[in-house]
Parts: sequence; structure tokens; C-alpha cells
Amino acid sequence: MAVSGQAFLALLPELVTTGFLILVLMVGVFGERNVGLTAGLAAFGSLAVFGSAAGLLLAGFEGSYFGGGYAVDGFALYFKLIVAGSAFFAVLAAARWSGNTGDAPEYLTLILSVVLGSTLLVSMRDLFGIFLALELATIPSYAMVAFDRSRRESAEGGMKYLITGVIASSVLLYGIVLIYGVSGSAELSEVANAFSGGLTPVALIGLALLISGFAFKLSAAPFHFWTPDAYQGAPTSAAAFLSVAPKAAFFAVLLRILLEGMPEAAPTWTAVMAFLAIVTMFVGNLFALRQRNVRRLLAYSSVAHTGYLLAAFAALQGGGAAFAVQAVLVYTAAYAVMNLGAFLVIDLVGEDAKSYNGLIRTNPGVAASMAIFMAALVGIPPLSGFFGKLWVILAGVQSGSVLVYIVVGAVVVNTVLSVPYYFGMIRNMLLEEPTTETGRSKGAGAVRFAVYTLAIVTTLFGLLIIPLSTLTRASGLL
Amino acid sequence: MITTISLLVPLLGAILMLFLPDDERLVRLAALVVAAVPLLLVTYIYFAYGDDLGAASLTQDLTWIPSLNVGYRVGLDGLGFGMFFLSALLTVIAVLAAWDVRRNLKQYFAAIFLAEVGMLGVFAAQDLILFYIFFEITLIPMYLLVGIWGDENRRPAAIKFFIYTFLGSTVMLAGFIAFGILAGSYAMDALTAGGGLSPRAQVAVAALILFGLLIKVPAVPLHSWLLDVYVSSPTSTNVLLSGVLPKLGTYGLIKVAIPLLPLGVEPFLPYVAAFGVINVIYGSFVAFLQPDLKALVAYSSIGTLGYILLGAASGNAVGLNGAVFQQVSHGLYSALLFILVGVIAARTGTRRIRELGGLAARMPWAGGLLALGALAAMGLPGLAVFVSEFMSIMGGYEAFPVQGLLAALGIILSAMYLLYMLSRVIFGPIERPAYEEATDAGAVEMAAVVPLAVLLVLLGILPGLLINVQRPAVEAVLAAIGGG
Repeated sequence: MAVSGQAFLALLPELVTTGFLILVLMVGVFGERNVGLTAGLAAFGSLAVFGSAAGLLLAGFEGSYFGGGYAVDGFALYFKLIVAGSAFFAVLAAARWSGNTGDAPEYLTLILSVVLGSTLLVSMRDLFGIFLALELATIPSYAMVAFDRSRRESAEGGMKYLITGVIASSVLLYGIVLIYGVSGSAELSEVANAFSGGLTPVALIGLALLISGFAFKLSAAPFHFWTPDAYQGAPTSAAAFLSVAPKAAFFAVLLRILLEGMPEAAPTWTAVMAFLAIVTMFVGNLFALRQRNVRRLLAYSSVAHTGYLLAAFAALQGGGAAFAVQAVLVYTAAYAVMNLGAFLVIDLVGEDAKSYNGLIRTNPGVAASMAIFMAALVGIPPLSGFFGKLWVILAGVQSGSVLVYIVVGAVVVNTVLSVPYYFGMIRNMLLEEPTTETGRSKGAGAVRFAVYTLAIVTTLFGLLIIPLSTLTRASGLL
Repeated sequence: MITTISLLVPLLGAILMLFLPDDERLVRLAALVVAAVPLLLVTYIYFAYGDDLGAASLTQDLTWIPSLNVGYRVGLDGLGFGMFFLSALLTVIAVLAAWDVRRNLKQYFAAIFLAEVGMLGVFAAQDLILFYIFFEITLIPMYLLVGIWGDENRRPAAIKFFIYTFLGSTVMLAGFIAFGILAGSYAMDALTAGGGLSPRAQVAVAALILFGLLIKVPAVPLHSWLLDVYVSSPTSTNVLLSGVLPKLGTYGLIKVAIPLLPLGVEPFLPYVAAFGVINVIYGSFVAFLQPDLKALVAYSSIGTLGYILLGAASGNAVGLNGAVFQQVSHGLYSALLFILVGVIAARTGTRRIRELGGLAARMPWAGGLLALGALAAMGLPGLAVFVSEFMSIMGGYEAFPVQGLLAALGIILSAMYLLYMLSRVIFGPIERPAYEEATDAGAVEMAAVVPLAVLLVLLGILPGLLINVQRPAVEAVLAAIGGG
């Protein structure tokens, strides 16, 4: 098959990723094991991916390649930006730590592999292609979680993540196969044709398995149980990155499958999503209330945020559909900056909630940043999380469905429910006296830089909204 | 533009505070200068644009989120002007009254200024989403002011305050969003008189918004967060907590709920008036039982907020003018009393009413001003509170006779506990030998309270100074609700 120049351009972000991935690995194999060089290359690589995706987006590049199985549109490019941007901060956070383990090139290569899988994933319009890209994004992530050989939890978390991940993948694949069996094609537009006549029982089972598989990957309750163990065990940069970048890509591709592949079945899957959203929000927030370990707290918090995002999926109907797509786009970006920031602070301070006591005295910049991330995760305006929730509620109110109104009510209740644990952190940092366990400033310039940058972006997200909402309108899937 | 500048100055001031060197005198002086700028600007606005607040140089309208029709729309009108002025004034007073704040002074002032941004913003916002954002911006600084600088009971008080009011404002936001979606815009001037919503939709939206606003006030069954917060806060935080924050709720009622959703709030108005009466009576009775001087003032403050609710619910010119006016006069007198309680507690080491006595002999100025504040609180003619309470009760009586009569009773009740308090605290023999040594209010403390006392008297004698400014806007509200 001849690959045209256009297709090369369309694959530019992926080609750049692959290039840097090989380069980082080769430097590790042949060069001196120079951490600065490999980390610099990986960081520059993520920026290059970001730049190439941004360039394509600004140029208005659109197209469908490889027999319609690979689409480059505003929607896909938007998510490539989120993935590449998160990767940049993850590399910054990983540099020093992975240097200490002596395996920097390998670890950074894993990050870039996840980037490659995720950026491919958001462009896929073919169910089998989706499965392959999804595995390309997840398999390196198992290794990332288990990478910290100095801690037993890391291996344990990696094992749990691996086992549940493999089960999820097989469930997902089974669902894909069933859908393929019904429609006779794996390409989303063909699938849509086959589904237009109504849901056969087999198709329904396929849809259920597909959604369950994604629910595992997205850590939606009741499929979330691997999340706290995996995030607790994983190196901080891995937890930060995995809770944001591949997750954004999973959300994106799920949205694409549902909207392009089975729009006729929307009444069924929006109802399922409404149920999942409510359960996930409550489970995430109620369990987070009891955590004393900040990693586990943030893990449950990320479960809760999956729930808020699923609420947007439930609103993909009636007058709310266009807003719901925008809500997913705005929310994933808002969530990426605040959640990355919050996880990276763990690298600077520690994972025991006690080590945050009185942090404002010993480490004011980091404490203020963490307070910003926590307030943003609650959804206090004008921080980033507020705009995410605003869009979700907007979409829900416009959907015109009673079930979705209930979901919106659950979003409001859960927002209030989440105040005690997020503000518990703020209280510990700002109101308590420092103890001997209070985290001292460690000389980690790159991580600090990442945290401060993310805090600023989280705070000024309201200004970003102007270009962002133009972008999200341009990228409409509908 | 001037409005936007007065919002930006405290924001920049908050950042500036954090970068000042650790010199207490310098920090206090810088804070005073920063706080003075918005006050001077508002004073300038009063004299230059007092009869034309809609002037182009005061308003600004920038598109922010085009797909939602949300904009940065700010401007002043007669409804908000009084509180806009009072927020700027009370910030200056709060900076002066921060003498009992010793640690982390820079951060304290930064939090005060951040809160000021939110307060000024609420009274200037002309867009629902912007209104909500400013409404919430006050929340975190207030949480920190209580939680970091309060007394030993501060932490539970702060979190309680936060959760209650956050719950309220989140519900309010849901109401705003539903309103904006149904009406197609969030600009307040596009939404007048229901924004084209059906009466049923208006009722549903109004219920959500009223719930949020009444928690903020707080109206009595929703008030349980308040006492701990007031009592554990430092004095200068009290000034803002009682002087401005409840008005975010009442102002929302007068500015948003009533004119924008006239059919929606109509079925609730008798209850809002009844809430007002409950506030008045409940506040007075419970104030009577308080052993703590600060708690007494706190309940007195809850009580007189009730008149605002009553006047706002009346839906006639007298009542609404009274309610808008009472927002200001309530702020003046409650700030005055809270500061003087702080002064007395600092001199005597106690706030327990039983342990105080005879302070007038040793502290004639503080005692005299406390008496003035208490007389204002009970609605003595010649002081600002009298004008506004009287108007609110008259308006309320016209619309809801039962509620109006009961509220008038409140004046007698408040006279009872306030006179009792005065007789215990400042008159009579000196209770403890230690009080012989107590000194009168110092220069800074006097600088904090005298402007409040002067304004109480001035507005009591010449209420037209404020009423003339607010009248056109009140008439616009009346036109929107089809009464008047």
C-alpha cells in the first residue's frame, strides 16, 4: 500500500514519538547512562509531539487514512495535546527519581510508549485498531507501575494492575468480537449502519462487554478496585501520568466509539453511563473520605472524577449532546492539569497525610500550589475544575432527561461530599502546626518547576477557556 | 473601567502583600494604602456619578465564554452601590482593626484583600456566572481567615462554615445554570422579568437560588454554621463576616431572585418575609441568653438581618428601599459593635457579660460608642438603622400585615437585651479591681470605629444621601415585578 505524503503528515505526532522513543532507548544502550541527556531528550520529545499536534490543529488539518480506519481531526489532535502535555510534566517528575534507580532510559521509554499508544488510540476508527492501540498504551503502563524495585507495594500494585488489566482487555476484546460478528465490519461507520436497525441481543451483550472493559480501564466503579493499590505502589510520576494521559485517551476513544459507532443505541448506553456515573462518584468520594494516605486519597479522587466525566457521557442525548462532547473535552484538560499537579506534589512532600501538617511554614510555595490543586479538584471557581463541572452540569441540564437530572443532582451532592477530604488536606497544610514529620523541601528543581507551572495553569484556566472553547467547538464530533 | 480597577487593586494588593519584607509597621501601612484605593475610587464614583451610575466609564462588557454567552460584565447600580461602598470601607476598617493579629500578618492581609475582590465583584457583577464566581471567591479567604487566625475553636468552625455555604452556593449555581440555559443568556439585563421562562420553570429555578441565598444570609433554620464562626474569628474578620458576607445573600435576593424571576419568587415571598420575622424574633431571644458579649452581638446581627428579608419580600417601594438601605446600616452598626467587643475583650481579658461592669468610668470613648452602637441596633431614631428598619417594617406590613406586626415586636425585644447588656457592661460599679487599670480605646482603634459611628449618625439624619442613589434602581426592580 502506498503511503502518501499526506499520511506522513497525519502521522507526524506518532512518528515524532517513535523517533524520540528509539533515540532515548539508544542513548541508554550505547551512550553513557547520562540522566540529564535522556530526560532532556524525552522532555524535548514530548514537547515536539505537543508542537506537531498543535501545528496540525492550527493548520486545520483533517483527514481519514488507511481505509477510513485512522482519522486525524480536531477531536483527535486535541487529545494528543493533552497526552503530550502530560507526558512532558511526567518526564520532568521522573527524571531525578529514575536517575537514582539507574534505569532512566528504560523508564522514560515506557512513558513515550504510553504516549505513542494514546496518541494512536484517539485517532483510531476501527475496533481492532482501537484494541491494538489501547494495548500499546496499557502494556508499558503495567511495567511503569511495577518499576520501583525498592518498594514491595510497587510490585504488588503492578501485579494487581496487570491481572485486572488483562481481564479488562479480554472482556473488551470479547465485546469487540461480538460487535464485529453482528455488523460484519470493525470500522465504526459500518458498525453504525449495522446498529441502526435496533439492538439485537448479541449486539447488546457486545455493547455491555465493551463498556465493562472500558469501565475497568477508566477505573469506574464497580470496576475500580485496582486503582488505589496500583496508584499507591506506582512511582509518583507513573501514578500522575497514568491517572491523566491514557485516561484522557480512553475517554476520547470511548466517546468516538459510542457517537460514531452506535449513535442509534444512545438511549441504552446513556442509561448505562448514568448508572455508572452515579455509582462511581459515590464510591470514589465515600472511600476517599477515609484515606490517610495521600496517594490512596488521590486514587479514589480520580475514581470520583471518572464519575463526573461519565456524567457527561450520560448527557449525550437530546439538547445536551453538543455540550456533553464539549464537557468531556474541557473536563479532561481541566482534570489533567490539576490532577497531575496534585500527584507531583507527593514527590516533593510525601504520601503520609501527616507530612502535610503545617507545610505552609516549611514550604510555602508547594503548600500554596497543593491548596490550589485541592480547591480546583473540589470545583471552586475560578480554578480549572470549576469549568469542567460547569460544562458537565450544563450538558446535563440541557439533556432533557429525568435520569440525567438525577445524575446532575448526584454531581452537586458529590461535590459537597468531596469537600471534607480535599479541605482536610488544605487544613492540614495551612492551619495545623508543623511536626517533625512535615515534609522538608528536597532539592528537586524540575518537579518544583512542574508543580508551579501546573498551579499557575490551574489558576488561570478561566483565561484558557476562551481559546479552549473555540477549539472544542471546532472539534465537535457531531 | 473604574469598577474594574477597583476590583484589580485589591487583587494586586494581595499579591504585593506576600512579597513585602517582614516589617510589621511597613506591612500595616502598605495594607492601609492598598485598602484605601478602592474606597477613594468609590467615593469618587459617588460624587462624580452618583446620579448616573449607568455611565459608560463604570461598566464593562467583554465576552468570555462565547458558546455559553457568559461574559465579564461589570457595572454599578443603585442596588449594589451602597454595599460596594461599604465593602471598600469595611476593608479599610478591617485593616485598621487587625491589631490583634500578630502572626503571619502579610498573609492575613492578602486573604482580606482576596476576600475584598470577591465582595466588590459580587456587588458589581452583571452576569450570573460572574456573580457566582465572585460569590465563591470570598469563600476560601474567609475559610482561611477563620481557620488560621481564629481562636482555639477555629478549625471545626471554619470547615462548618465552608461546607454549609458551599452547599448553598452549589445549589444556587445549579439554579443559575438552569436559568441561563432556558433563557439563553447569563447577562442580568437580558434576563429581567423572567427572561421568557414559563412560570413553572421560574418557580423551580427560584427555589434553587433562594435556598443558596438563604443559607448565606443565614435565614434562621439554616443558620447553625454561624455562631461558631463569628465567635472564633479575629475581630477584623468579624467586621467583614457580619458587615458584608450576609449581604451577598440578601443582595442576591434583591438583585437576582426578585427582579429576574418575579413569578418564580412570588409564591416564596410570604415565607421569605416569615423567615425574616423568625430571624428577628429568634435572634433577639437567643441573644438575650448569651453569656458571651460577642455571641450576643452575633445573634443581634442575625436578628436585624431579618428586616432586610422582610423589606425585600414586601415588593413595594418603601420596603425595598428599606431593605437596600438596611444592608448598609446593618453593616455599619454590626462592624462597630464587633470592634468594640474586641477592644473591651483586649482590655479586660474576658468577653463574659457577667464578669464585665462599670467600663464607662475607665473607657468613656469605647463605652460611649458601644452605647451608640447598641442604640443603633435597637433602632433609635436619628441613627441610620432606624430609617431602614422602619421602612422595611412599613413596607413589610403593607404586603404581609402579620409578619410586619411581629417584626415590629422585634424592636422591643432588641431593646430589652441590648439595654440589659449596656447596663451590665458599661454602667454600674466597676466589677473587678483589675478594670481600674483598663485604658480607653487608642488612636488606631478610634480610627477604626469613629467613621462607622459618624456614618450611622449622618445617614440617620440625612438618609437621602443613600436613598437618592438607590431609588432609580429600586424603581427598576418594581417595574420588573410589575408592582410599585
